[in-house]
Amino acid sequence: VIDIHTHPVGIAELHEGSPDLTRAVREVYGRHMPLQPLTTYLAQLDEAGIDEAVALPIDCTTAHGCKIVTNEQVAQLMELSARIIGFASVDPGEPDAPETLRRAVREYGLRGLKLDPSLQQFAVGDRERAFPVYEACTDLDIPVMIHCGLNWAPRGMAALARPILLEEVLQAFPDLKIIIPHFGWPWVDETVMLALKHPNVHVDTSILYSGTPAESMMRVLVDLVGIDLIDRSLGSQVLFGSDYPRVEPKRFVWGFDELGLRPQLEEKIRRTNAMNVLGLGGGER
Amino acid sequence: MRSIVTRIGVDTHHDAEMIDITHRVQDVVRDAGVSSGVVYINTLHTTTGITINEGLPDVEDDILGFLSRLVPRDHPYRHSRFLPSDGEMAVNATSHLRSALLGMQVSFPIENGEMVRGQRQTIYFVELDGPLHREAVVHVMGE
Repeated sequence: VIDIHTHPVGIAELHEGSPDLTRAVREVYGRHMPLQPLTTYLAQLDEAGIDEAVALPIDCTTAHGCKIVTNEQVAQLMELSARIIGFASVDPGEPDAPETLRRAVREYGLRGLKLDPSLQQFAVGDRERAFPVYEACTDLDIPVMIHCGLNWAPRGMAALARPILLEEVLQAFPDLKIIIPHFGWPWVDETVMLALKHPNVHVDTSILYSGTPAESMMRVLVDLVGIDLIDRSLGSQVLFGSDYPRVEPKRFVWGFDELGLRPQLEEKIRRTNAMNVLGLGGGER
Repeated sequence: MRSIVTRIGVDTHHDAEMIDITHRVQDVVRDAGVSSGVVYINTLHTTTGITINEGLPDVEDDILGFLSRLVPRDHPYRHSRFLPSDGEMAVNATSHLRSALLGMQVSFPIENGEMVRGQRQTIYFVELDGPLHREAVVHVMGE
């Protein structure tokens, strides 16, 4: 299994000597739980049966004067564990954002970009600021995960994170690989519409609003979207994601197992689709 | 009277797990230098337990299995929502309920500097929502 969506905000080693990170995690990201060592993070992946996980930073320099984990810290985690696949984050409000991204990918081996318009507070359709970043992603052939929907961070502004806002981005960058997390909840219909039309749109399963992951996935994927639609039309575009540490990955695995998917579809969502979008090789068509 | 509080760190590796901490508690009691008194063993968490039972793997499996049957995962518990004070989903009602059933503290008399403990009594720190880094507290009181 590859977990496409984890935030390493509670890993104690990253906070040592980084009071700015501790403040950012509490005040901007809104997490108030005790820190845990990296070994616990890896043990939680083990318990969930997850082989590798994507670690996501968020660069909020312009909006909040902080980075919720830096690209360098993600690179540090990758050195500590080969199971961690690092993404970069850049601030579209900074003129050198595209160059920062190119450097993070080349120097640190980061394999994708994380953007959160609701927390970074930028317009995804901003041609002057955001489009050069998308252009860099296309040049580097890396995916970009763009947060859509409910954001539990206290400073998050969901109005900036409606999936439909990505339509003009998709039209301008037809080769850009975009990952929409959380199925864009509550705008699931917008997310599904974009994914149906654009095969370069991927969606992840980290649907968290109320109830257990088993309950929220059942309501959205089974009752709202329909497993038949996913199997017929989105089978190569859905990725397993947990949004750790908002919830433990084991609970998403338990819920995912309860969906009762065809084994072939299950395998694609658990691993193959992620390998393809991350360019890791070994995926299937 | 002396009162000595010692924290014991426990790294758990599974969702549910029984970890034998008997020797660690014994060491704390001996180091305390109390000849006559009492020792309390508490967990600092609400999704773990402290219990005493026979130190056998099959008994451990039966205890965890029994707790799972008593408190199944697929029940619409009310404690299943986002908790702003944590910044996380609080969807672990099963862990809280299993912990409530098991208890969070045990105690032993201390006589001649040793715990008065039955031959088959093993002290367990019981993880019910792991893996996590956890803490138990050993409180020795006496003279």
